[in-house]
Amino acid sequence: MTRPCKQPRFINLITDGLRIALLAGADCFICPNPRPLTVGASYPGINQWRVLLGAAGPEPTSQACDDILRLRLMDTHRSPSHSPIPKLTERPRVLLISSPLFTLMEEEPYLEIYLDRCMNQDELASTSSHLFSPIVPYDSYLHTSSNQETIASPLEPSKEPSTDLSSVDLSFLPDELNQENTEQTLTEGKPGVEGNHEIQGAPSRVQSLNEKDSGGICTDDFSLSNSGLNPLSDGNSTLPSPENSSSGFFPLTSMTPLMPVTPVSEGSGIVPQLQNIVSTVNLACKLDLKKIALQAKNAEYNPKRFAAVIMRIREPRTTALIFSSGKMVCTGAKSEELSRLAARKFARVVQKLGFPARFLDFKIQNMVGSCDMRFPIRLESLALTHQQFSSYEPELFPGLIYRMVKPRIVLLIFVSGKVVLTGAKERSEIYEAFENIYPILKGFKKA
Amino acid sequence: MNNTAPSPMSAIATSSSGRGTGKSTSFALELQSMMFSLGDARRPLHETAVLVEDIVHTQLINLLQQAAEVSQLRGARVISAEDLLFLMRKDKKKLKRLLKYMFFRDYKSKIVKGIEEDDLLEDKFSSSSNVNKRQKIAQDFLHSIDQTGELLAMFEDDEIDDIKQERMERAERQTRMMDAAQYAEFCESRQLSFSKKASKFRDWLDCSSMEIKPNVIAMEILAYLAYETVAQLVDLALLVRQDMAPKAGDPFSHAISATFIQYHASAESTAACGIEAQSNAIQPSHIREAIRRYGHKIGPVSPFTSAYRRNGMTFLAC
Repeated sequence: MTRPCKQPRFINLITDGLRIALLAGADCFICPNPRPLTVGASYPGINQWRVLLGAAGPEPTSQACDDILRLRLMDTHRSPSHSPIPKLTERPRVLLISSPLFTLMEEEPYLEIYLDRCMNQDELASTSSHLFSPIVPYDSYLHTSSNQETIASPLEPSKEPSTDLSSVDLSFLPDELNQENTEQTLTEGKPGVEGNHEIQGAPSRVQSLNEKDSGGICTDDFSLSNSGLNPLSDGNSTLPSPENSSSGFFPLTSMTPLMPVTPVSEGSGIVPQLQNIVSTVNLACKLDLKKIALQAKNAEYNPKRFAAVIMRIREPRTTALIFSSGKMVCTGAKSEELSRLAARKFARVVQKLGFPARFLDFKIQNMVGSCDMRFPIRLESLALTHQQFSSYEPELFPGLIYRMVKPRIVLLIFVSGKVVLTGAKERSEIYEAFENIYPILKGFKKA
Repeated sequence: MNNTAPSPMSAIATSSSGRGTGKSTSFALELQSMMFSLGDARRPLHETAVLVEDIVHTQLINLLQQAAEVSQLRGARVISAEDLLFLMRKDKKKLKRLLKYMFFRDYKSKIVKGIEEDDLLEDKFSSSSNVNKRQKIAQDFLHSIDQTGELLAMFEDDEIDDIKQERMERAERQTRMMDAAQYAEFCESRQLSFSKKASKFRDWLDCSSMEIKPNVIAMEILAYLAYETVAQLVDLALLVRQDMAPKAGDPFSHAISATFIQYHASAESTAACGIEAQSNAIQPSHIREAIRRYGHKIGPVSPFTSAYRRNGMTFLAC
């Protein structure tokens, strides 16, 4: 267990993958076995947990799958009230086989493809009727420097309040292995962006990867230490140094990030918080609004005032406008995933009322973020110097309206230093806009 | 409230202008803050504020009456934005400024709507044509009265508004020296406007006694025009004050008009009487001089450059 790996690059790849898994929103790691070399990350899907494993070959991987299942079963037995019996819903299939010489940067899109496919599989009809709300730490961007990587490995993924199936989905392990024995490595795509990629030629590219010859199989162990994950709300970009863990792992040294992580807090140290997400979805069936309003709880319908049903749910706290054409607008969620989840819940309600509702074309229309510069800003000077972008009429509105061209975001800047950003279709636009405005506003700081 | 000194404005004002002594609503305090935000001293004089209030009130009443006449002409039941736009048609710069204000109002409500979830639903409740409502009104109307095409050309025109620019620069200069607390106060003052105190504004204008009343958008525009009038007055008064400061080597110092000297002298005498007049606050005399100069007909084109001189009243705002 304490043998260092002969190929440090491979270690880097795997732990990079774990880090990337963290970025993708995975909130727990399973390290079932030191031998064979297996590390894994599981992250919550809508109705299931997806587990990504990196291992030194198909056999160790499937063994690791069994281990995971066994451990989960043990967990369930220990605390039976917690979670249901885990089951494999899909056959494990391999996501990526690659050689250790392959850099992670090129492997990024493949996990995105995988995630994409997983998302598309999240069809309303196919899953069980239960929805649980995964706590997806989209806000916890990790910006790792060359500090020691510490990864937590708690074995309790159950946050579900559900009574239904929550299955471990080891769907990327191979049914058949195409080529030579190669290692699988974890790949992750950029976090927080779902369903926005149209890469359809994925499978063929994955196949072509298998052509590459594998290097040596690293069966050595490396160690991870337990430690907590830091949510990055204060822009702190380093993870705490590892403590001694009970499992006797020792920390990793010299982690170099191979993947360019989006430097969210570089330079400003402030991360805008998302306040509201407006999204639309097409339920693709004509709806009888009167029936919905009568039968559903928390629904208002006043046809004389407005031609839509207004429905509210408490978790996540959102409001939906449901039109008779089947289109629906969902507002009030604080993250993309929550907005999607809320939209699904609304669709579920409609479905339960007897309509053949589907879930088509979910699209985020607007995202609103806000943050605090924590210093007062001289708005008059800003309005004067950036005339072509700013409009400042204090009699009408106390904030300065700044229309940024790239990215196309509108910022409301207030004297107190609070900034509201709106008009974004993607989270990255908000972050980018903030990073653009930060040096400008610093220049107009009121002494 | 009573002006003892002869004011050209009050002499010309029609008798129906509500300059009654029984007026309970007074904007003097708000005006003081507004003048501070527009470039006056930290604590503008009360007399100046009272005088400004008087002037603004008189002008607005007259404007309302003429707008009522216009709307009667077209057979409407309420005074609406179109009537006021019609009155302003002669001065393109001021009209452009008004249009920009209206568009900004539209734009701001659109943005704030997207942020506030409740507002989103509220707006959905009301007509969906709310977006750019004022812009539509303005465009349609100007399209209908435009004969030479120059009014519509204003929409594409992107010239910088000099006066607005000057005001911004003045504000910037003023705020540069302030510390955080003063700046917060300044910003508060800047946010004061007549539109925020809509009901008080209505009472002040005594709208209920008129046969034809202005609608909501017309009230918005009136509030804006009131603010513009105050701003213009402060601009001009600051110019006058600057002129009055003795400058060494000024070649025109011998050409100052007699009335100017008289007002100047009266201001000085009050100071000599021991009344603590702040050296940098705008005096009522400055305001009066500014009005006098503004109304002074100079040159062959002046009767055509300002709207509605039937009463002899020159409107500052349009």
